[in-house]
Amino acid sequence: MPVLVDVQDICKIYNPGENEVRALDHVSLSIDKGEFVAIIGQSGSGKSTLMNMLGCLDTPTSGKYYLNGVDVSHMTDDEQSDVRNREIGFIFQGFNLIQSLTAIENVELPLMYRGVAKKTRMELSKAALENVGLGHRMDHKPNELSGGQQQRVAIARAIAQAPPILLADEPTGNLDSGSSKEIINTIKKLHGEGRTVILITHDPGIAKQAKRIITISDGKIASDEINPDYIP
Amino acid sequence: MEYLKSALSSIKQNKGRSFLTMLGIIIGIASVIVILSIGNGMKSYVNSSLDDMTNGAVTIEINQKKTDRYLTPQNLTTIEEAISEIYGVSTSFSTYGEIHLKEDHIVNLLGGMPVMERELSDGIYKGHFYKKDDVDAARAVGIMDQSSAIMIFGTDDVIDKSVEISFGGRSIEITIIGVAKSDEEALANARKARQSGETAYYYHSIYVPYTLVTQKLGLNDERITSYKIYTHPGTADEAALRAKSVTENLLNLRGEGAVSIQSFASMAGMYNNILNVVTLVVALIAAISLVVGGIGVMNIMTVTVTERTREIGIRKSLGARTSYILLQFLTESAVITLIGGSIGMLMGFIFTKIAEQFMSFPPVISPMNVLLVVAISTADGLFFGIYPARRAAKLDPIEALRQE
Ligand SMILES: Nc1ncnc2c1ncn2[C@@H]1O[C@H](COP(=O)(O)OP(=O)(O)O)[C@@H](O)[C@H]1O
Ligand SMILES: [Mg+2]
Repeated sequence: MPVLVDVQDICKIYNPGENEVRALDHVSLSIDKGEFVAIIGQSGSGKSTLMNMLGCLDTPTSGKYYLNGVDVSHMTDDEQSDVRNREIGFIFQGFNLIQSLTAIENVELPLMYRGVAKKTRMELSKAALENVGLGHRMDHKPNELSGGQQQRVAIARAIAQAPPILLADEPTGNLDSGSSKEIINTIKKLHGEGRTVILITHDPGIAKQAKRIITISDGKIASDEINPDYIP
Repeated sequence: MEYLKSALSSIKQNKGRSFLTMLGIIIGIASVIVILSIGNGMKSYVNSSLDDMTNGAVTIEINQKKTDRYLTPQNLTTIEEAISEIYGVSTSFSTYGEIHLKEDHIVNLLGGMPVMERELSDGIYKGHFYKKDDVDAARAVGIMDQSSAIMIFGTDDVIDKSVEISFGGRSIEITIIGVAKSDEEALANARKARQSGETAYYYHSIYVPYTLVTQKLGLNDERITSYKIYTHPGTADEAALRAKSVTENLLNLRGEGAVSIQSFASMAGMYNNILNVVTLVVALIAAISLVVGGIGVMNIMTVTVTERTREIGIRKSLGARTSYILLQFLTESAVITLIGGSIGMLMGFIFTKIAEQFMSFPPVISPMNVLLVVAISTADGLFFGIYPARRAAKLDPIEALRQE
C-alpha cells in the first residue's frame, strides 16, 4: 500500500524561550492508504496538536510532513486551505456544524469551496447523507437533530467529496454510549469501504476498535503497534 | 450567488439589528432623493416657464429715478447695429383702450417694431405681421391673437376687418392685418367665454407699429426709457450685457447704475445658482449620513465577525480560502447598505409624491439619481466592510475553532 501520511521528525514548540511547551517532540510516523489508526494519549499529551498538524491546520516548528507525497509543512494559508479541502475530511468532537444551515447545506460546504456545480453538489451530498442513514433529515437544521445525528451529518460532510483521509478528533466525546457505538460503527463501515481513518481519542475502549494503535505521551510517540484484539 | 444567499440569510437572522444599522443610510438617502427631486423639478419648471414667457426677449430699462436721460429711435438703430448676435431691437410702448361692440373689451395696444413678431410663441395663423414701412408711415394696422378674435368678433376670420378703439375721449380705427395662432386650450376657453357672454374678464393684446402710439395717438412722445432686445437661444445674458453697456455709453451713464437688465434668463440663472448651493448642501448631508451609516455598518459587522468566529473556523477547516471569507463578509455589508439605500430611495419617492400635492410644479426623479444612490450605497458598504471582512478572513482556524 502506498504511504499517505509521512511525518518526519516534527517538533511543535509553543512560547519558545524560558517556559516553552514542546507539544510535539521529534515525532515521526507513517500511515499507509487504507489503514485504520487510533492515536491515544492522556489529556495534554499533544493529541490535538498532532491532529492539527496532520489536518494541515497548523505548521510544525521543525521537521517535514509529506501528505500524499507533497511537502505540506511550509505552505501559505490558501495553499493549506486547498490541501484540507482536497485531502482531509474532519470529524470534530463538537460536531462543528453551522447552525444557520440545513444538514444538506452543511454537507455541501466543502464541495462548494472546491467549485463543484450546484447540481452535482446536491447529488453527492444526498448520497453522503444517505450513506450515514440520514436521507430523511436532509432539510433539518442542526438544532432539530440529536447529538448522534449531528455527528453523522458531520461525517457525511467529511466524506461527501471523498477525501483520502478521515481525521476524527474525539468524535464520540460529546455523545452518550448508544450514539457513540453508532458513530464508531459508521466510521468502521467507512473504513470497510476503503477509506483511511485516523481516530484520536483518550478512551482505550474506543482505541481498541482500530487496527493499529499509536500511544503518545509528553509529545513523544510512546508505542506504535498492531492491535491484537482488532475485529474487522 | 452563494455569497448573496448567505448574506441575505444572515441579515434576516438579525432583522432588528440590521434595520437599526440601515437607519442612518435610509434617512440620508431618503432626504437626498426628496431634495434632489424637488430641486430638479424646480429647475426644469423655472427654466421651461421662463423660456415660454420670453422667447429670448430681454428688457433694458433706464431708471427714471436716477436719471432723466432717454433714448431716441435713432439710438435704438445704433444699439441694434452695435450688437451683432441678436434678431433685433424694439421699443415697447403700450397703452390701454376699449372696444365697444356687442360687449365691451379691454385691449392693450403694444407699440413696437417688426422684430416684436418674435414674441408670438406659435407664430402667425393668418395674414402677416406689420412691416417697416407700416412703422415709417405710422399705419393704423394691428395683429391680435386667434382667441381674442373669437371673443371679440366670434370668428378668427378677421383679416382686413376694422375695429374702433377708444382711449378716454378719443378713438382710432385699426385694420387687423394678422392673426396670431393660439393653443387649443386658449381657443376652447375663448369659445366658451364667447358663448356664455363672459368675455369681459379677458384683456387682449394688439400689436401695432410704435409710431401709431407715439405720433397718431400722441399718448407718448418719442422718449424711450425702456426697450427690448430679441436674442438667439443661449446668448441672452451676453447680449443683454452688451446692450446695457452700449446704452450707458450713448447716454454717458457709465458707472451710475441707472441702466438695468430685466432678463428672465438672468433670473433663472440666479435661481439655478441658489439651487446649486442647495444641492451642494444636500450632497454634504448625504456624505455625512453615508459616513455615519458606514461606521455603523463597520461596527455591526465587527460584532457579527466576533459572533461568528467559530463558523469562520469551520469554513476555513473545510477549505474556504481567505478570499472566500473576505467576499462573504464584504457582500453582507454591501447588501446591508444596498437594502438601506433602496428603502431610503423608496421612502424618498413616497415623500416626494406627498410633497407634490403641496407644490405648483411636479418634482422630477431622474434615473441618474437612482443609479447614483445604488452605486453610492453599495460602495459605502464595501468600503466600510473592508476592515471587519479582513479581520474575519485573517482568523487562524485553530483559534477560531476553539471559540465557543
Ligand atoms: N496554543 C497553545 N499555546 C500554548 N500551549 C499550547 C497551545 N496549544 C496546546 N498547548 C499545550 O501543548 C500541550 C499539548 O496540548 P494538546 O495537543 O491540546 O493536548 P491533548 O489534545 O492531548 O489534550 C499541552 O501542554 C497544552 O497546554
Ligand atoms: Mg485535545
